[in-house]
Parts: sequence; C-alpha cells; structure tokens
Amino acid sequence: MSAFVFRNNTIERFFEKEYSFSGYDDISHIPQDVENYVWWYQVPIKFDSALVVQEIESYMQKLSYVVTQIDSRKTVIVLTMDIIYNIPLQEDNYSVVKAVTEYNNQLFDLELKNSNVKVLDITEFTRKYPVQDIFDWKYYFISQMGMNPKLHKEFKTWFNRKLSSIALKRKKCLVLDLDNTLWGGILGEDGIDGIKIGGDYPGKAFLYFQDAIHNLSKSGIILAVCSKNNEKDVLDAWDNNPYIILKKDSFSAYRINWQDKATNIKELADELNIGLDSFVFVDDNPTERELVKQMLPMVSVPDFPEQPYELPVFFKKLVEDYFKVYSITDEDKKKTEQYKANAARAQAQNSFADFDEFLNSLEINVTIEAANEFNISRIAQMTQKTNQFNLTTKRYTDADIRSFIASGWKIWCISVSDKFGDNGITGAIMMNGNNIDSLLLSCRILGKGIETAFVKTILSILQNEGIMDVTALYLPTAKNSQVSDFYEKCGLSCTCINEDGSKKYSVKLDSMDLSIKDYYNVNIK
Amino acid sequence: MEEKVLEILKEVFELETVDQTCSQDTCDKWDSMGQLNLVAELEDAFDISLEPEEIGKMKSFKDVMRILSYKLK
Repeated sequence: MSAFVFRNNTIERFFEKEYSFSGYDDISHIPQDVENYVWWYQVPIKFDSALVVQEIESYMQKLSYVVTQIDSRKTVIVLTMDIIYNIPLQEDNYSVVKAVTEYNNQLFDLELKNSNVKVLDITEFTRKYPVQDIFDWKYYFISQMGMNPKLHKEFKTWFNRKLSSIALKRKKCLVLDLDNTLWGGILGEDGIDGIKIGGDYPGKAFLYFQDAIHNLSKSGIILAVCSKNNEKDVLDAWDNNPYIILKKDSFSAYRINWQDKATNIKELADELNIGLDSFVFVDDNPTERELVKQMLPMVSVPDFPEQPYELPVFFKKLVEDYFKVYSITDEDKKKTEQYKANAARAQAQNSFADFDEFLNSLEINVTIEAANEFNISRIAQMTQKTNQFNLTTKRYTDADIRSFIASGWKIWCISVSDKFGDNGITGAIMMNGNNIDSLLLSCRILGKGIETAFVKTILSILQNEGIMDVTALYLPTAKNSQVSDFYEKCGLSCTCINEDGSKKYSVKLDSMDLSIKDYYNVNIK
Repeated sequence: MEEKVLEILKEVFELETVDQTCSQDTCDKWDSMGQLNLVAELEDAFDISLEPEEIGKMKSFKDVMRILSYKLK
C-alpha cells in the first residue's frame, strides 16, 4: 500500500516505509498515483495564542481544498488534533482549546459529507501517556517533531490497528445460536413458557438483545440460526411465545439439528450464496465457538458475554467490529443534501476556489537581499545543510562566500513571511558572472510557488543590469531529484543531459516570461 | 558498546554491512531524518539524553563513539 501524508511537523518516524510526505504545511502537491492519503496536522507551536488559533483555522480550509482534489474512491485518513504540550499562560485563555475543538468538529462534519474521509481520534493514543512522555521540546527544537519520536513503535501499532478496522469489510450474515443466546434457559428442558425472554431480568436483557438484532437486520444484515435443538420445538416456540421478537420470518435460513455447527454453517453459506468470510457466528457455548474457529477460520467468532446484563455492550461491539457502515446510505444522503444546501454559503467562504486564491490569502512577503556581513554565515550554513531543493549541492564556507563576493559574484538570499509568521532567511542564489552556480531553498517555504518567483525576480534584476543570457546547471544527488526539472518549469531550456543525469541550461532573458503573480509582495533590498 | 552502536547504525540506515568507517559521507540514508532516528535509538539503547550540541557533532561512527564514551563515563 502506498500512501501520502499531509503534515505540518516532522512525523516520518511514525510511519512505515511505503508512506511519502508533503512538505511542511504544504498542499501544493497532491500526488494522484498513491492508494490512500493521510492528513495529520498537529497543533502548531507558537507562543502567541491568537496566531495559533488563526493557523488552526487555516488548516481546515486547506483540508477542505485537498479533499476536493482527491479521487473520491481513495480513502483519506484524517487524524484529529490534540494539544499535547503545555501551553504557557493559558490559565484564563481557552482560545486554543476552543480552536482545536472546533477543528475536530469540522473534521467529523467533513467525514459526514465525504464517504472516503475517515476520522481517527488521536486522543485514543495520546491519552495513554503523560504530557512529558508524549512531547519533548528538545526534539521539537532540533527536528520540529510535534510528538516524541520515541513513541514511534507504539504509534505504528495503534495506527495499523485502526487502519485494519477501517479496511475491514462489513460482514453480511449473522448466525445465531438460540438457547442462552437469544433467550435464557434451554428450550428442550424449560419449555416454551419456561425460557427467559421478556418480563423480568434476565428475560429483559435477552429481549433487548433481540430487539437490537432485529434493528440490525433492517440495516441489511442477513440473519440465520444455527442451534442444537429439535426443529419442531423451535418452530413451536416461534409461533407460540408472544415475547420472542426474532421469529421464523426474521431469519433467511436456519439449521436446527444435532449436526456439528461447522458443517451447518458451511451449508448456510451455500444456501445463502454468501462467502464464509462474510459470516459472524454468535454462540454462548465456548466449545461450539472453538470448533467453528478451528474448522472455519474465515468465519468471525466473537466471545460471548458471561452475564445477560452485558448483552447491550456486547451488541455495540458486535456492530462496531463487524457491521459498521462506512459508506453513506440513500437516506443518510438525503439528510446530507439538506445539510449541504444550508452549509453552501459557509462552505464557499471556507474553501478556496483554486490554488491562486489560497496563495492570495496567505499575504506572502518575499524579501530579497544581497549578501552582506549579517547574512553570509547563514548563506554558508544553508549550502552545507540543504539537500533537497538544491540544484548543484555545492558546499561552501563563510570564507568561500567572502572570496566569491570579492571576485565579483553576485549573491542574494531570500526571506519569506506570511500571515502566519516569518520564516527568516530560507534560500540563496549565487551568480558567477552569468552562470547560476548555486540555487537552494529550505523545504519549509516550498509549495507556494515562491521558488519560481524568486528565480524570476533575480533574472529580472540581472536583465536590468544588462545581462542577456544566463546559464545554469543541475547536478543530481541522492536527495535532490525533486528539482531535476525545476529549471524547465522556470522556462530555461535544457541544452545537454549527461550520462550521470546532470543537465546544462541556457536562456535568453528577453525571451523569458519574467512576470510573477501579484500576490507575492516582493521587496528587494 | 561498539557492537551495539554498529548494530543500531545498521538498522537505522538499513545497511547490509556496517563498519567503523560509517559516516554521513558514506551513508545515503544518514540525512537529517536519519540523524533523528539515530538519536532516538541511541537514547533508548543507552538510556541517555543527548544534547543538541552533541547531536550536531555526530556525523560518523567515530563521533558517536566519542560522544557516547564521554556521556557514559
């Protein structure tokens, strides 16, 4: 199974190898060639709670947009948000708690409206741990982990268990025993009037159980009986005991005889033309259950409660484990239709018509600054550390950069901020004459089209300075394949591809479209 | 300890073979994500807490051994 995970923090460690990941808080790339999707946005960590609230609100807009872009036959697993670190100064300010609650409520609304969206409640996992175990500031500050990486095994176990319960197909047929299962006592010994059904406890509990199963059958579950009894006695009871809810007509088929139950169930499967893997067998007798488990391992056999008063809890679990409907029925759809009409306006405000509108809403400020004493060490550090969005991956020291500047290179760095905060200096470009020697950007700012806006702005500056042509180079490494065609996307032409995968580019600046979208507020220093 | 460290390196970076020359330069999977996994495993295995400065300096098997020996002294 391949799956793509949308995330806002570092969470790779919590997933198996077949998962791939979006950039941080990046919804610009929605791959279509994966089987499933996961959405796991953790509570953003910032001191200013007003900003945190704003950011949480923006997550819902992004998710709504992402869901519209995904094939509705593919499952989107959405994890709820939990506040797993102690928020400072919150004694009289519940705004973050409120925003998280609101976000989670909206997730459940989204699940109602989209049958391919399944919400998993992360607190089922997180509440097992005290706050100091589940969140570690050290890992947050060094790697932007929103949850302690040491819990990765426990998380994987929990997550995979949840996944299999989602993947579980709804069973079709419920096979029921009679004595001490649908009523108390043994029909052959206690007689039609002696069995416990209706009236006082325990009859009351069995009545509840029958009523519940009767309602389950209305939702499309086929009922059958498999009981060791005299058929005549049972038919008599069905006809003459006024309290019995589940009678002959309630069952699509029955085997009431003294033959072993595995053989009977196999016959029922043939008669009803339903695969054995769609059967659930409920019997109070552990020996019968064990026999069926051994002989027919594809049949689901839940444990039966010891006491009749446990039947309601047992029934609830039975439904959750085997008969839960994930897809929406026609009737539900009608209800949803109304709901949709009412919510239409709110929705229009809530999600973006297209990606441009989304970018517009971010209020992106791009500052481009020539290298100077204050940023040289940051630029050098970025050349050392940046692996993925790095066209040539040349590593330089502070001293290298100073000497380049002295010999006439032009070097700029880029800072990006948006309404959610300032990312600081997160990229650089280095021009040796008219050749782009290095171009690199931090993954944190990718996904907003800033990368092309940056390059185009630089090329415009060069053009204004009288430069006509620019050349560039892409050198492949194990980690930078995502930029193998970046220059093509910017409008440069590839002039040569070498055997090692490296590419040479050139472009005449006057032939290039150097305009950038006006939602980037570019400021050149 | 040396053996245990090598075993962790092998597992974390999914190596077929591992020796004392293992470092960020020779090992593809030893990137920032790999570093994080390595640190989490080492902290668990040796019951220690590594400081960010130490983590920053851990770029090879030899670095790991040096820092661990110091921590476990």
